Amino acid sequence: MATGIKDKVAILSMGCSRFGERWDVGQEELMVEAYVEALSRAGIEPAAIGAAWYSSHYDDIGAGKAGTPMAQALRLPNIGVTRVENFCAGGTEAFRGAVYAVASGAVDIALAVGVEKLKDTGFAGLPLASRGTFGPMYLPTHSNPGNFAQLAAAYQARHNVGRADLKRAMAHTSVKSHANAVKNPNAHLRKAITIEQALNAPLVAEPIGLFDCCPVSDGAACAIVTTPEIARSLGRAPAVTVKAIQIVTSNGWEVQQAEWDGAHVHTARIVARAAYAEAGITDPARQISLTEVHDCFSITELVTLEDLGLTEPGTAWREMLDGRFDADGAMPCQIDGGLKCFGHPVGASGLRMLYEAWLQLTGAAGGRQLANPSLALTHNLGGAPSQNVCSVTILGAN
Amino acid sequence: MTSILALGVHLPRLRLQRAAMSSALGWLTSGAGAGKGQRTLAFWDEDSITMAVAAARAALRGQDAAAIHSLSFASTTAPFVEPQGAAFVHAALRLPETCLAQDVQGSPRATLIALHSALESGQTALIAAGDLPPGTPGSLAEARAGDGGAAALVGSGPGLLDYRGGISLSAPFTDRYRANGHDHPQEWEERWVREAGYLDLVPKAVAGALAKAGLSAADIDHFVLPCPIPGVAAAVAARAGLANARLAASLAETCGDTGTAHPLLMLAHALETAVPGQKLLVAQFGQGATALVFEAGSVTMIPLVSPQLAQGIDEANYMKLLAFRGKIAWDRGLRGRFIVNEALSTAWRYSAALMGFVGGRCRETGRVQFPPTRLTVGDGLHLDTQEPWPLADVGGQVATFTADLLAFSPHPPNCYGLVDLNGGGRLLMEFTDPGAAAITPGTPVEFVFRIKDIDPQTGYRRYFWKAIATPVAS
Repeated sequence: MATGIKDKVAILSMGCSRFGERWDVGQEELMVEAYVEALSRAGIEPAAIGAAWYSSHYDDIGAGKAGTPMAQALRLPNIGVTRVENFCAGGTEAFRGAVYAVASGAVDIALAVGVEKLKDTGFAGLPLASRGTFGPMYLPTHSNPGNFAQLAAAYQARHNVGRADLKRAMAHTSVKSHANAVKNPNAHLRKAITIEQALNAPLVAEPIGLFDCCPVSDGAACAIVTTPEIARSLGRAPAVTVKAIQIVTSNGWEVQQAEWDGAHVHTARIVARAAYAEAGITDPARQISLTEVHDCFSITELVTLEDLGLTEPGTAWREMLDGRFDADGAMPCQIDGGLKCFGHPVGASGLRMLYEAWLQLTGAAGGRQLANPSLALTHNLGGAPSQNVCSVTILGAN
Repeated sequence: MTSILALGVHLPRLRLQRAAMSSALGWLTSGAGAGKGQRTLAFWDEDSITMAVAAARAALRGQDAAAIHSLSFASTTAPFVEPQGAAFVHAALRLPETCLAQDVQGSPRATLIALHSALESGQTALIAAGDLPPGTPGSLAEARAGDGGAAALVGSGPGLLDYRGGISLSAPFTDRYRANGHDHPQEWEERWVREAGYLDLVPKAVAGALAKAGLSAADIDHFVLPCPIPGVAAAVAARAGLANARLAASLAETCGDTGTAHPLLMLAHALETAVPGQKLLVAQFGQGATALVFEAGSVTMIPLVSPQLAQGIDEANYMKLLAFRGKIAWDRGLRGRFIVNEALSTAWRYSAALMGFVGGRCRETGRVQFPPTRLTVGDGLHLDTQEPWPLADVGGQVATFTADLLAFSPHPPNCYGLVDLNGGGRLLMEFTDPGAAAITPGTPVEFVFRIKDIDPQTGYRRYFWKAIATPVAS
């Protein structure tokens, strides 16, 4: 009988590069930035690391395939480096690999690194990801804003919300994240914006405007994990342990059967239930102190808050307008600026969210530190609402 | 008795105003936008194959496609030199594997040559024509042309038009030519084409066809002769002695000359006013002439051409013609520089799904899905339980929608979303035709066979099905 991952693995240390349009560096330097920070905070030598997981989404830009780009960039001591790719959940996937390796007893200390060097494409927005040979023969020529914009159209229809009301709630979502990122020195976008700026921004994909989109950023983040016992033996209290990691993948039902309403994310509801069960959480809206959700677009954040059970379906837009998810609200969301402003280097984002959760839970978040957080939730949504990889990780302070 | 059992036509929605063509290039050439009115303009994702398919689908509605013995795809603008376009038309229509498929080309008369041959064979045959007659920018040919498709189903038994007799004459009369590798035609002097060509060869063919039919010129009630040169059809009618014949409308001011599609398009239009028992003579010129005599049968049809003529959307931007046809190197942006991987082996493996729009229906769960797979979507393990489930004609409703300004499109925004299929199943689809951006969730849609992508480097193009808002009238 599986007992789950709860409290079997502790975070020894984390690191995160500055995110942004890093014209000055490539993926190697980004990884080094995050790794050196984590290594120095952990107080261990590289030789102590038993195995590593490496997340990178695009291999045609950035570093290429396999584990060798990371092993070489970080000069790892000839250990196994496993490259994982699972859309925007790749960083969490790498973290899961490292956590499971430690929990299994196969290694004492494991490393997870996520990186993406996106600003070598020559244009704004994400490039088209490979969909094999058959997919492009029938699937629409799409963009990520277009994929997620469909959530908005369906949400309006499902919950009878007018376009103007939804646009205002989406604008508030982005204004809140911009305000939060001002206090985050590693964030890509550190400038406050107004509701009017967000509302008046050019349309990208109806009804998503420019300020409803997260930026395309370069960045890297990493985690070093071990058992609570080894953390203690290294002279470090196991301050933060893993309470749950769940990943759920669409099997084609949403996109092939006319049963899903298109106004929520099917996998998100499943993954949230599984994660809460693993972590022993019964009332997420009350028990969870902070959330870092996958706000690739403002509408995604709104729908996700409902899917995670943090607010009732059809109410997130109103709760957002009421300020519940602001930094001083009852449930701060995206306190580091989120994907919207910290930035979104695809393969690194899951680990970036965990980095913020870890900082907050250890009281190390500086000017944006929340008061006494105990449980932090991170969420990734990779792909499109109709076909995706969705993850939820829960960390807890001990 | 051999007959035309059914006709079908397809006109693209856009109507390019000749005044706009004149305004764009009239300062430079005398031919730019010559004539009155408008011409049809194929949307960026329409070509001779897709328009032939659209017309053939209309012709085959309610007919027995499984009985078709041969298919001829007629065009002077087939997108490929190799492979043959008929193979794509055949696949999109899901015709039987035993159906012979061939391209006929080289002249706008190719359609009537194929039709003549089919009528004489006595077998069930489909002739599907699609054309976008090319013209040099600013030329008379460009102004006079239109884009369209038309199709005729031929078989035994009483039909729309019972075949009474016909003839095809062959002659090395080259009124225009377009050498391999050249985009635009070269035309010889119009007066010579009229006097030495049409007025000599077509009356001869008319006389020959009448003789075969055992009729005299005075018996003909409707005379159909496509000719881009104004006044020629009337002159031919007079020369041939067709004194009682009503001259079929050229559709010059509403559509333009659609090349291989035009004889069938004009015939379908003429049939809207014909009554049973009337005699119709259809002729076309081109390296000879063909003339075919029909008698309007007891089977009547709803008007095919007039409704489509009425559903046009005025287009005042001449540059769209140049952009759609790849005649200007417009800025596609770096995002438009993606590789169109033809993966021919993949395309063949999934050809029934891609070309015929055939999904699967699980015998055990009743679930319909696209594409079909060995294991059925949904709960449980259902292996190899799917039967082929054609989707092209089922229609559906829009579930989710976006008009995307970021994704590459030759006519932004690129519109797409989930479509719930009538009878079950769902599919992420592109929406096409001008006005797609006005689609909202709940809109009823139907499906059309269109170009999916064109690789500007290799010229390769691939096809798939897209959704359009169901016309209110239907």
